Amino acid sequence: MLDNLVEIASYWWFRYLMVTELYMVEKWERVTIHVIFMVLFCVFWYFNYSVLLSLAGLISPGAAMADILPEMSVASGLKVT
Amino acid sequence: MGNFDGDSGTVFEQSYATTNGANGKLPNGNGAAIGSPSNGGLNLNHAEEPRGEAEPFLSQRKFSAPAYTEIRTRRCNANAAAEAKNRSPNYHPEKRSIANGHAKVLRDHEETQPNKVEGILSPEVEHSQKTSFEEVPLHTACLTYLGFYLLMILGYINQLLFVPKVATEKGREGYVTLYDAFESFYSRYVYRRIKDCWNRPICSVPGDELTLKDRVSDDYGWSFKFTGTETRCLNLGSYNYLGFAAATGPCADESEEKARNFGLAYCSSRCELGNNEQLQELESLTARYLGVEDAIVFGMGFATNALNLPSLLGPNCLVISDEKNHASIILGLRLSGATTKVFKHNNMRDLERVLRQGVCYGNPKNGGKPYKKVMILVEGIFSMEGSIVRLPEIIALKKKYKAYLYLDEAHSIGAMGSHGKGVTDYFNVDPKDVDILMGTFTKSFGSAGGYLAGTKKLIDFLRTNSHAHCYASSISPPIAQQIMTSMKTIMGEDGTEIGRRKIMQLARNTRYFRRRLAQLGVITYGHEDSPVVPMLVYLFSKIGAVVRTLTTRHIAVVGAGFPATPIMEGRIRFCLSAAHTKEQLDYALEAIDEIADDLGLKYSNKPRDPNPIIY
Repeated sequence: MLDNLVEIASYWWFRYLMVTELYMVEKWERVTIHVIFMVLFCVFWYFNYSVLLSLAGLISPGAAMADILPEMSVASGLKVT
Repeated sequence: MGNFDGDSGTVFEQSYATTNGANGKLPNGNGAAIGSPSNGGLNLNHAEEPRGEAEPFLSQRKFSAPAYTEIRTRRCNANAAAEAKNRSPNYHPEKRSIANGHAKVLRDHEETQPNKVEGILSPEVEHSQKTSFEEVPLHTACLTYLGFYLLMILGYINQLLFVPKVATEKGREGYVTLYDAFESFYSRYVYRRIKDCWNRPICSVPGDELTLKDRVSDDYGWSFKFTGTETRCLNLGSYNYLGFAAATGPCADESEEKARNFGLAYCSSRCELGNNEQLQELESLTARYLGVEDAIVFGMGFATNALNLPSLLGPNCLVISDEKNHASIILGLRLSGATTKVFKHNNMRDLERVLRQGVCYGNPKNGGKPYKKVMILVEGIFSMEGSIVRLPEIIALKKKYKAYLYLDEAHSIGAMGSHGKGVTDYFNVDPKDVDILMGTFTKSFGSAGGYLAGTKKLIDFLRTNSHAHCYASSISPPIAQQIMTSMKTIMGEDGTEIGRRKIMQLARNTRYFRRRLAQLGVITYGHEDSPVVPMLVYLFSKIGAVVRTLTTRHIAVVGAGFPATPIMEGRIRFCLSAAHTKEQLDYALEAIDEIADDLGLKYSNKPRDPNPIIY
């Protein structure tokens, strides 16, 4: 069971390496690219968490645009033009 | 039919002879022809035996170099151990003696099934129905570009951090660099990573099977070491369309005799002391073969294009060239200084647009005066696309606009048409309608060189003006003899049916292989009758993975990547041959099927034929 899972995971890992061309590069290069990918992911995650999530929270079914905009500009200190 | 221990020339003869005689012996004869197991095994053992201490270690690593260790696929993982035990040095051990559907066996069987569109539609529509250029799926296109950018980024990082392991010149301070920066960057950091898939040294005749010399790389392709072992592979990479590349048989015998009587070279050009009876006979034979008035032969196929186009064209000429034309044509056009306009690949509407513009507006560099000559330049079979030129339509256009037509039949001569006379034969057009016929002897004839054929006047003009005729040394006698013997065989002038059988076998192999591939669901390009079969894999690493995996399955193929194709369209190119048997193709198709599943090559969205393909 576990072996099967490992096998499937390693197969799809191989396929992932294949489509990103990481299959044919050296090990340290692969690690570098994965670090870059992770950093990008974290940055996006942080951006989503801090900016998009707070914006999304303001958009509720009852809220009109007029409610959202001044509040946001006050709360986050952003200037909306 | 091993060139390894037997000889394909004789085998062809023998088995055809038996075919003509009694049908009962056939499976046996064929089985014996496909390389006997004991011999193959013995030879390989023999190759490994007398090695020292270090070499067994190297030979163990034959497929365990860094490149190969990473080929782990679902199925391979599961039964890798079992397979390794069972795998014999010969690549299709158990199928050797099975009676089969090979053309030699199924003599009285009906012809291979015709395409459904045949004879129903107009020739133009039929041609485009048989030609397939499937669009790349969007996600694959995006991934390919992403991958390419990643490779570039990694290349720059690598170059920044490490000194590349290449030879550097000393004492060159202050000099400008001699080499193009991007090209050397590309070959160091993209091509080098999968370099083991190209430039592979071989050590046998490239018949239906060949022997690869194994090598390993410990530093990701910067340098290679020979392991001292050899791998016998099914050859799907050489342009040996009619299987005339052989070390034995009538062609080889006559060439040998010629070499014994006339030596190997004349050490002089045709204009000086290099002209001889044999070459003149070769020229008249070539002209007869093609059905035109006269022909002229040269010692190198590439040079035939590159050096003769400048003598036919000059600065005030217009050339309309297909976008997929070969490098030799492009080089020749650049040398000639003619105005070159490119039309979309095999697109007659675009050709007519470019042609009309050229004829109507004249040469803008010359104040809009008409061009001296207008010439259309196309190839018979496009070697990277596997497509066939739409010759009848081009001839109609050429007559309409009074342009000349130069047809490069490098791949199609011998391989196309019921008499092997190239695309003119295939389309049943008069070869005299094509002004200049060009072709090579390198491919179907299993020799070297090229020819130009056409009217007597044209050839006489070339005899006085061509650089390749005046300055290149004349063709070596055994090479010319190989051309003549194989050409006579194809024409049936040797009194046998071998030539016709070979042509039929090639056509049959081609249709079978292409249809089976389409059924597997991989994307192939080109016309279904062209023996060049490019299979699209798109990504660089997939080129590498497919070539490496097929090598472990004992199949040698050639990959083609960016400089030769657009960035996005990496491909594997199979070249079929009359020397292949059905089992060999089946074996290859089986391996390709497995690999296509494992590596995800089945991109095609076309409906697949559910019925089994009849050979």
